[in-house]
Amino acid sequence: MFLGKLIGRRRESGDVESLRNRLKTFRSLIEGNNRVLELMADAGEKLGGEYVFDIQYLRSLAGQLEVAVREVVNDLNVLTGYRHNDLAKACDRIHIEIRDILDYRDSIPRTDYVLELDRIGIEAADAVGEKMARLGEIRRRLDCPVPAGFAITAFACRSFLEQTEILPLLEAWRAAVASSCGPECRAAAERLQEAIRKAPVPAELRRAVSAAAAAVQRKKGCTAFAVRSSAVGEDGAGGSFAGQYATRLGVPPDGIVAAYREVVASLFSPAATSYRRRMGIHPIEYVMPVGCLCMVESRTAGVLHTLDPSDPGSDTMLIEAAWGLGTVVADGSGAVDRFVVSRAIPHTVVSRSIATKQEMIVAAAGGGVRRAKVEEAGISRACLSEAEILGLAATGLRIERYMKCAQDIEWAIDRQGRLFVLQCRPLAAASRMDRKAERKAVVPESHRILMRAQGTIACRGVAAGRVRIVLDGKDLENIPDNAVLVARVSSPQLAAALGSAAAVITDLGTTTGHLATIAREFRVPMIVSAENATRVLPDGEEVTVDAEDNIVYQGIVGELLRDHLLARNTYEDAEEFRLLRKILKKVAPLHLSDPQSPQFTARNCASYHDVIRFAHEKAVEYVIGQAWLARVGPEPYARRLEMAVPLDLVVVDLGGGMRATRPGETVRLEELSCPPLQALLDGLQTPGAWSSAPADMDTDGFLSSATRIGPLIPPAARPLQNLAIVSDRYLHLSLNLGYHFNIVDCYMSEAQSDNFIYFRFAGGATELARRERRARVLRAILGKYDFMTEAKGDLVIGRIKAIPAAEIEERLRMIGRLIGCTRQLDVFLRDDDAIERCVNRFMTGQWDLAGG
Amino acid sequence: MSGRGDVLVLDDEAIVCERLREHLEKHDFHVETFTDSQAALDRLAAKRFDVVVTDLKMKGPDGLDVMHFVRRQAQGTQVIIITGYGSIEAAREAEFSGAYDFISKPFQMEDLRRLIAKAAARGRKLGRGAERERRQEGGDPR
Repeated sequence: MFLGKLIGRRRESGDVESLRNRLKTFRSLIEGNNRVLELMADAGEKLGGEYVFDIQYLRSLAGQLEVAVREVVNDLNVLTGYRHNDLAKACDRIHIEIRDILDYRDSIPRTDYVLELDRIGIEAADAVGEKMARLGEIRRRLDCPVPAGFAITAFACRSFLEQTEILPLLEAWRAAVASSCGPECRAAAERLQEAIRKAPVPAELRRAVSAAAAAVQRKKGCTAFAVRSSAVGEDGAGGSFAGQYATRLGVPPDGIVAAYREVVASLFSPAATSYRRRMGIHPIEYVMPVGCLCMVESRTAGVLHTLDPSDPGSDTMLIEAAWGLGTVVADGSGAVDRFVVSRAIPHTVVSRSIATKQEMIVAAAGGGVRRAKVEEAGISRACLSEAEILGLAATGLRIERYMKCAQDIEWAIDRQGRLFVLQCRPLAAASRMDRKAERKAVVPESHRILMRAQGTIACRGVAAGRVRIVLDGKDLENIPDNAVLVARVSSPQLAAALGSAAAVITDLGTTTGHLATIAREFRVPMIVSAENATRVLPDGEEVTVDAEDNIVYQGIVGELLRDHLLARNTYEDAEEFRLLRKILKKVAPLHLSDPQSPQFTARNCASYHDVIRFAHEKAVEYVIGQAWLARVGPEPYARRLEMAVPLDLVVVDLGGGMRATRPGETVRLEELSCPPLQALLDGLQTPGAWSSAPADMDTDGFLSSATRIGPLIPPAARPLQNLAIVSDRYLHLSLNLGYHFNIVDCYMSEAQSDNFIYFRFAGGATELARRERRARVLRAILGKYDFMTEAKGDLVIGRIKAIPAAEIEERLRMIGRLIGCTRQLDVFLRDDDAIERCVNRFMTGQWDLAGG
Repeated sequence: MSGRGDVLVLDDEAIVCERLREHLEKHDFHVETFTDSQAALDRLAAKRFDVVVTDLKMKGPDGLDVMHFVRRQAQGTQVIIITGYGSIEAAREAEFSGAYDFISKPFQMEDLRRLIAKAAARGRKLGRGAERERRQEGGDPR
């Protein structure tokens, strides 16, 4: 008998000492785990835009994280006799990746030489440049019409430039640029550009380009390509680089390599060099990713500004267009039509100015472009129809809404009237130089303020939309796009709606919680702990959320929105923010959530979060499963709990969790000093919650139960005994109740950001369908208490973090009741209809869930 | 003098200047920003400010140089020094040498705004006193 072993024998003092040390190590691991979570939360909060920080902070953050994670890994290895050396290796790999980010050694990611546009998103900006990354993103996420194509990556360019014909000239050019911008610099640039134009492209790169071009040709029948610069930083924070780098149009597939060399050479042109110098842009390494897009047989092309930058107050968009290719619009070399369109929906054409367009630029037969005469009928005719103008405006606003800033969009319409987006970039970046003297928009006094300075900004920004009050899961159904979500708590359940939401306001919640983290990822303005937003903001009301100044206005404050569209996110463009975002990608994502999954291995730890999660799980598993615990003598470490509910629970104290000083083998409830365990047991002992009625097993259920080959839970994960490992703030509870297996892991303290509950439930005596139904009941109930949930078969995992101690306590009571009254529930869940009934009964305090 | 006070912001990172300018202007301060400390000193020689917010470590004249310059002018201008993460010693030195206060990165812009508001009130008061003294010394009867 486990308990007999645990407390029944006298042990040598050496064993006791050994146990004492191991429990100390376990406790140290738990504390280290919390320290890492705290650092993660702290860093995530810095991304919200409220803080100013510097590179020293990032270095220090990286250092502190490294030390804290190392300590956790070390504790695990000390505890388990160095069984998890693989984890130390995974940890080292992440340390190195983060150091590389801070030392800019990661600036050119190691990728394939060529990436198809379908594989590219905004996260690939370092590999393929902002221009191609954005096109890939809007194609992938918004299903925007973008020509087929591929990118030749930064990594490919580095391989090209590192060959012997070029490298020495590149070094000489760098030296010349560093010392002056005079004639030597120009001469060095000319020599370098000449070498680039003549140098052979590595065979592997040449093959990759040919294969990608052939694939596009095959799929889309594309016979000519636009080969365009997509330099890292181009169209980005530093400047638009508009017109600084080369573009080659109408390039036949076999001409792509030559055009590629031309575009790469333009990186070193004296004009581009002087532009970078003027804008204070000093790349660590000079490389040029290049985009190759299928040429659109363009009937009309041009540029759309989703907000007229010369007159933002007019709330209009500006379209400039010409027949043929858009070259004359971009370089101003010809007459163009000009349309001003209202931003308000439905869009209307506010004004048109139709130019006399004698000439246009078209693709030449053998490649390249040529000037051509416009047909007589087209010279004075608008080159866009009303429907095309409105379609273009709608597409532009869709991109603007997704990108969350005013856009400068190049587009083309082909002979079949199909619209293609050729480029989109922030209009703010292009116009920032002109805005220096601009002031914040003045909000007219006519706009009533509904909320001011309530709560904390979790993600800065300004947005408008209709209020949608979300009080439970049902309110989350059919949420319209662009709604202002107003919820009682910052529940992770809202995350699914965040992608299309305008803004989020919650009565409770923290800036470090899951939802705030996701809001920052989606750049959705968010205000948390606003106390009474759900009561103050009327459902369906149109409001403007100013999460810069923490004000909610009634109605649409156009002045504020337009100002924000042009001014937004300067902070996001800062180098420190970029680095922090990259670092957090190596720190925060949790890829390993289910310990029973075969993927749950040290080798698969890809972030610090994974590392500490793995370490924690393995430490707990070790503490529960190891014989050393079972050899303990009658020390006040481990005692059986005396309570009315027959839980047969042994409590192991890590320190401060028990006050039993009297001799004996048991501890009484009042002698516990572990608030999380006390709260859970309190819930479990709620009158009526511990279901003890014999389950009415029908034939199917019984047979299933009788013929089950062993329990669902692999033996390694099952405790020999119901066990609570406790301290004054920590609880790890493993319960094996017949066929049901529960784990509760919890930390509860005054430091809100440290607090968490992990709840895992699996098993059951019946066939899978019924066990799954119980999992759905559990999941629905956990969701109502704001847990982030996952479910697979009969397994349910619920997680919640960074909520106040009182809220943790309330949820532990709930979990206590839940464990008690769902023990045999699967037996009664004969059909799906029972699920909602059970959930409702639980939520209304009727603990006999199967009753009624 | 404009709004809640005239503030000069000096930081060699343009993005920090830009963010502080935006935030302070929203709160009705009149803000001039500089990324070059010599240019800031030239401006300080030509115009009185209620508050100077300066980064401590910069190329050329640093934050302490700026502070000493401002103090020599004796016009009541208050200096707030921004120090890098972990430079507590430098911050103490700044405070010791007569800065109104210091703030270490990372800081919340709203915390700095509050600090500037207090410093500006003090700066204006001392500025008026200094102006009176000068007039009296110059025999100006006003």
